[in-house]
Amino acid sequence: MKPLHARYPFLAAAREAVETADVDLAGVVAREQPVVQRAMDRLEGALYDGTVGDVHRRPRVELLSYPVARVLVSLVDEHVLTRKYARAEAQTAYDRFTEELATDDPLQSTDTEHLTLDALLQEFDLARAARETPEGYRVAVGTYLEHAADQRDDEWRLVNRDLQDGEVPLSEEELLELLRQAVTHRIEDGLPFDVPEPIAVELSAEVESLREQLSDLDLTRDIDTVVPERFPPCMKYLLDQVQKGEHLEHHSRFAIAAFLTTIGMNTDEIVELFQVNPGFGEEATRYQVDHIRGATSPTEYSPPSCATMQSYGDCVNMDDICEDVIEESHPLNYYEHRLEQADDEELTDWRERQSESKS
Amino acid sequence: MEEQTLRYLRGRFGDHYRRSELTPPPFAHEREWGYVPWTEGPGETYVRHKSLLDLGELSDFLARERPRHVYFSAGRYENPSATTMGGKNWRRSDLIFDLDADHLPSAEPDDSYGEMLAKCKDALLRLLDFLETDFAFDDLTVVFSGGRGYHVHVRDEGIQHLQRDARREIVDYVRGIGLDPGSLIRTEMRGNVTARVLPTDGGWGRRVHQRLLAFVDELEALDEADALARLQELDGIGKGRAETVYGAIKRNRAAIEEGNMEAGGVGIRTLVDSLVTEVVEAQNAPIDEPVSTDTNRLIRLPGSIHGGSGLAVKRIDRDAIDEFDPLADAVPETFRKHDIAVEVTDCGRVELDGDSFTLQEGELSVPESLGVFLMCRGRAEKGQE
Ligand code: SF4
Repeated sequence: MKPLHARYPFLAAAREAVETADVDLAGVVAREQPVVQRAMDRLEGALYDGTVGDVHRRPRVELLSYPVARVLVSLVDEHVLTRKYARAEAQTAYDRFTEELATDDPLQSTDTEHLTLDALLQEFDLARAARETPEGYRVAVGTYLEHAADQRDDEWRLVNRDLQDGEVPLSEEELLELLRQAVTHRIEDGLPFDVPEPIAVELSAEVESLREQLSDLDLTRDIDTVVPERFPPCMKYLLDQVQKGEHLEHHSRFAIAAFLTTIGMNTDEIVELFQVNPGFGEEATRYQVDHIRGATSPTEYSPPSCATMQSYGDCVNMDDICEDVIEESHPLNYYEHRLEQADDEELTDWRERQSESKS
Repeated sequence: MEEQTLRYLRGRFGDHYRRSELTPPPFAHEREWGYVPWTEGPGETYVRHKSLLDLGELSDFLARERPRHVYFSAGRYENPSATTMGGKNWRRSDLIFDLDADHLPSAEPDDSYGEMLAKCKDALLRLLDFLETDFAFDDLTVVFSGGRGYHVHVRDEGIQHLQRDARREIVDYVRGIGLDPGSLIRTEMRGNVTARVLPTDGGWGRRVHQRLLAFVDELEALDEADALARLQELDGIGKGRAETVYGAIKRNRAAIEEGNMEAGGVGIRTLVDSLVTEVVEAQNAPIDEPVSTDTNRLIRLPGSIHGGSGLAVKRIDRDAIDEFDPLADAVPETFRKHDIAVEVTDCGRVELDGDSFTLQEGELSVPESLGVFLMCRGRAEKGQE
């Protein structure tokens, strides 16, 4: 088994290598503890730092830990884990290939043990869709959308790209990010799948442990309380702007809508909360909120962290709680803290106030 | 609709289908088919989840069933007649655009049918500019919907496998939704300094840049005082900024032509910001979003007759769009032969087939095309011959 396959286990060639080696996965999980352990490392890495950790010194362990990790993800069958895992595999692959491509060693280009950009593009059917230009690359719009449509940043949105003759110009760094997305999609593809009973039985302790860790991490936040007075300063400010009818940039609208969705509001309620200003177009708001929410479940995305808010200039009026209690981590942490501090009687949900004032 | 009207229309739709050649969409057997039969009373029956295996050869089916409306799916499936989407097993889907007078911001409530359709055609031409210039799609079919607008079917291979979220990006692009003036202007390295530039050859940047150059032309045609006054009409531009912008235009118009956004200072970037909104309003194509993002959408069959108007759902050649007049060119030949008796229930003015009529209530003999049009729209019943 080649080290290249161990480093990039999602490659078609790596998969073939596993297949031709005719490995009996049930046997592996029963007898090869290092493989199971490395699979757990991949998943715990995904949960805690967004990567799948360092390569195991034995290529066999490394390579086989990948299918075992996929089996574990399928057994746990939690959307958050699947998503985090796919992103982490892709992030690690991205870190490795950007580093490899940057070491401009001419000897390596003929070395089949290293990945070339061409090979990567081939792997993801991007070779035909992408071409090199003096300024960077151009990628066919269909292919671009296939991989970039779920990117959250404004700059990836097609409307902000210089689409021309059916192609989207990209810099080399952007092309590599597109490849990272392509890896994410490949990893997610087919997950979760049905796992044969004997393998499931063998891995029950690991599955149990992953479930516990997931619930400790509280990734499926379930706040479902709307008390605007206790919002973090940034969200208070954005809400205030919306209600005044000020034009918000896309990232700001995304931040406030994602925040409100995560604390349990649906599109109708958000539209209602926004509509204090009579000039605000209901249709447009609904469209935007739906767009942000997507056709997906509420756990599909999360509102931006403080770091992201800061880089967009959306972090305003920071206070002591921001600095000392939540340490500029996440607006949701701020809100949770403020909710915990209050007595229950003090908290009247905005939605209840609405129905009272209506009746 | 009275029973005799219904029987008459159904019979005449049948005559039309027997006489006309109809070109089905490509891969017709992989698509879902649906239709609405002629039924009395309120509410329509929608028959769907049919494959061509169920219906039989298309022109036989149409001549036999004589449906009121006929649709096929944008999507292609392994089992088009399965009744659940899971069972159908989706494979790919055309990209459909629907321009409907109901969704046009420019449409006024008292526009006539003809005026509405003319506004729709303007929007269609704007849409085609995006699809042809920006997206460079080359498998486009433009269709008059037979009702209140136009459809465009895109069948390029590159879009066939796109999911909903990706299709929504295309919708947002042609509607100019989410366009961020801040990210239109890029920062580029020029030598070892950074420079802000407006892209000139692609995307919305190109459109905004063209508008900027037109605005510059406009300014250059004025004398200095008027040009400065014109600039100061814009939000965020005072006397100082106006002078910088005007100076930059005079001294170095070439820089602006290249998209250089440093030359005119803050003023020129403020100018661009205000042009963005204007350009989006003037150039976006107000398509109906859910139609384009739905990969399972049923869409009217070109060559069929729209049961709500009696007009043909008609493919239009690209270079015939300019002259296309839906109220004449979509009148089925079958209905042009003779006059029929109708009883008008909803009087008023009607334009059709190059003529304009002012109808009184009651029994009347009219060209059949007009009679069919009125009966389909519920403004008349079949009269006694
Ligand atoms: S530190 Fe975080 S929570 Fe506080 S205002 Fe800034 S973004 Fe909001």
